[in-house]
Amino acid sequence: MLTIVKLLQSLIKALHSEGTPGQLAAGIALGAILGLTPLVSLHNVLIFALIVMLNVSFAGGMVGWALFVPVGFLLDPLFDWIGRTLLFTPAFTPFFTSLYNTPVVPLTNFNNTVTLGSLVFAVVFFVPLYFATRWAVTRYRATIGERVRQSKWYRAVTASKLYNVYRLFRPEA
Amino acid sequence: MSIRVFRWRAIGPLLLFALLGAVLWVLFADRIARRSAEKIGTAIVGAKVEIQALHINLANGDVTVRGLTVASPHEALKNLLQADELLADIDVLPLLEKKIVIDRLAANGLRFGTPRATDGRVPGSPESSVSGRVMGEARDWAQRFQVPALQLATGKIDVATLDPRRLSAIPAAEALSARADSSRRAWQTGLDSLRLAATLDSATATLARLRTARATDLAALNEARRAIDQLKQARNRVTTLERRVTGGLAELRAGVAGLDSAKQRDYAFARGLLKLPSLDAPEIGIALFAPTAVAQFQRALYWTQLARAHMPPGLLPRADAGPPRARRSGSTVRFPREHALPGFLLRTAELSFQLDPTASPPKSYAGRLTGLTSDPALYGRPTLFEASAPAVTAGAMLDHVHATARDTAGATVQGVRIPVFQLASLPMRLDPGQGTVQLGFTLRGDTIRARWAVRSTHVAWARDSSASGSTVTDLLWRTLSGISDLQVDAGVTGTLTQPRLSVRSNLDEAIAARLRAMMGEEVAAAERRLRAEVDRQVDPAIAPVRPRVTVLQTDVTKRLAEQRGRLDQAQKDLEARLRELTRIRLP
Repeated sequence: MLTIVKLLQSLIKALHSEGTPGQLAAGIALGAILGLTPLVSLHNVLIFALIVMLNVSFAGGMVGWALFVPVGFLLDPLFDWIGRTLLFTPAFTPFFTSLYNTPVVPLTNFNNTVTLGSLVFAVVFFVPLYFATRWAVTRYRATIGERVRQSKWYRAVTASKLYNVYRLFRPEA
Repeated sequence: MSIRVFRWRAIGPLLLFALLGAVLWVLFADRIARRSAEKIGTAIVGAKVEIQALHINLANGDVTVRGLTVASPHEALKNLLQADELLADIDVLPLLEKKIVIDRLAANGLRFGTPRATDGRVPGSPESSVSGRVMGEARDWAQRFQVPALQLATGKIDVATLDPRRLSAIPAAEALSARADSSRRAWQTGLDSLRLAATLDSATATLARLRTARATDLAALNEARRAIDQLKQARNRVTTLERRVTGGLAELRAGVAGLDSAKQRDYAFARGLLKLPSLDAPEIGIALFAPTAVAQFQRALYWTQLARAHMPPGLLPRADAGPPRARRSGSTVRFPREHALPGFLLRTAELSFQLDPTASPPKSYAGRLTGLTSDPALYGRPTLFEASAPAVTAGAMLDHVHATARDTAGATVQGVRIPVFQLASLPMRLDPGQGTVQLGFTLRGDTIRARWAVRSTHVAWARDSSASGSTVTDLLWRTLSGISDLQVDAGVTGTLTQPRLSVRSNLDEAIAARLRAMMGEEVAAAERRLRAEVDRQVDPAIAPVRPRVTVLQTDVTKRLAEQRGRLDQAQKDLEARLRELTRIRLP
């Protein structure tokens, strides 16, 4: 329950942050990669560093991660199939053989069917997710966003201590 | 309004986060590595792998493992091995390629077959784990051997039901009877078709006219000659019929003789229904020691097949089950490349071990293992193991370099404590004490050749107190308990799909001789009972057939002889009268 509350809290904060819809959408799209792919993978260190370092919504990244973890679980059979198809395509074998014998690259677990399948899916899904989210945030802010901002419970959320931590990573204008 | 791409002020927290990760690595790397090693080891062996402590020193490329325990995948409360300490000298750079290359491993204080408090087996499902699949295959292989049960405990001879439908003499008798009937009808038809009565009547009438005729009566003389010709033709027809009858009768007599053969076959079939205790020495050996021998071969096959699964030949990409995690594991595909390092390579291991930890003082031995690798085709040389010491010789070669894998292992251990044998089918135990154990195992492709031998000169016997004694077991107990030495030789040859097992021991002949002496009279009585049963069922079918054939033979032969006699007599009379009329009389 607490997790859901925190997720809602993050979502509300992200939607009303100072960041642009593009920053929020980019954060969510990057966070989706964390959620869709198995977490303990080297590429996720890079994704996390990007969420922190790039001027995107950190809260959006966390929301995207939290939202897409269950999606990742649900789509694992599809990821497995995608990864298996790619890894066992003879035309790609020389490429994967080179990667497999290149330092550091094997640590990404790219040769695991679920890891590769989910990463490929997440990368392909990144662009449509970004644009769809940006459009949705723009519409939200133009319609009911201001009313939510004026509500009591929104002020209660933003007054919590966690909000101060969040401010450290909020997008910069 | 321009938006900056980078959030520079987040560098501080990010570095802090990285520092935190480094601190966590220092604090927990050993623990994580230990748990990973336990998990991977357990998955490979198919039994619990436990490590008391593991320390990684990446700066020096050292890994130290203390208190390693590997449970036996075959025995619940036994360890496969325990090691006091393993010191590994690893190459650090290949770790970046996720490859583990150990230049040198020193294993100290190895002990085999030590007891453990809890069941260490990890039953993996054949679908999801390699060890589970290999274990299932080895178990299925062992079940191919049909080990006959030695029914010595009661010494009872059982007789199965004799089904008359499976006796061959009865249908043979019925068929012969039918053939005799049809032959009788056919011959009767043949006799009727000869039309001898008309020929004989004509000859009789001609003879009567000839008696009153004169020598100049040429018409009568010609008529007589025609009658003689007809008689000759009739006799030829009789001769033809006689030949047919003779052939037919010969077949019927052969059929009668065949009934005796069929009855002998029925006796043999009935003897096969006797459920006798095996009296042949080789079968007794199999019944006594096959379960133990097959268990040894099954274990050797398990380890060999496990090695083949984890050390496959060839350079093609291959998939293994992915790492266990909350999400789907998937498959992890390896892409070996020529001249690259294997995923795992142990170049050299120096092993120091004890075979009998209970011995006082414990005897220490030394062994050497080289070229243990996950990609034998990349390493290019077979995995070798050798250990030699006074009273111990052991060696193994796993050659998976080429397409057809060749695995060989052999060991001879003298003066080792041999486990107690619970003799199958006999309520007694055999304690060989200290003796010599040999195991040889070769698997080329799927062709297997294995040998297991046990020698002991100080055998102790113990009888199960719970088992109820019978006369047979009492006598066998007296026979066997006087034997003080033990020699068992078991072997498997053939292919994995069609293996052949042979087991011999010095106990076999002793048991067989005793059994023959004891069971011989009972067996003979049982055979007599079965012969009587066969006679009871077969004789009513056979008995009427034999006289029927005899009567038919007598009847037909007699009738043919009669007909032939009448024809001969008529011809003789006519010829005599003709000679009389045509004789020239001198005045």
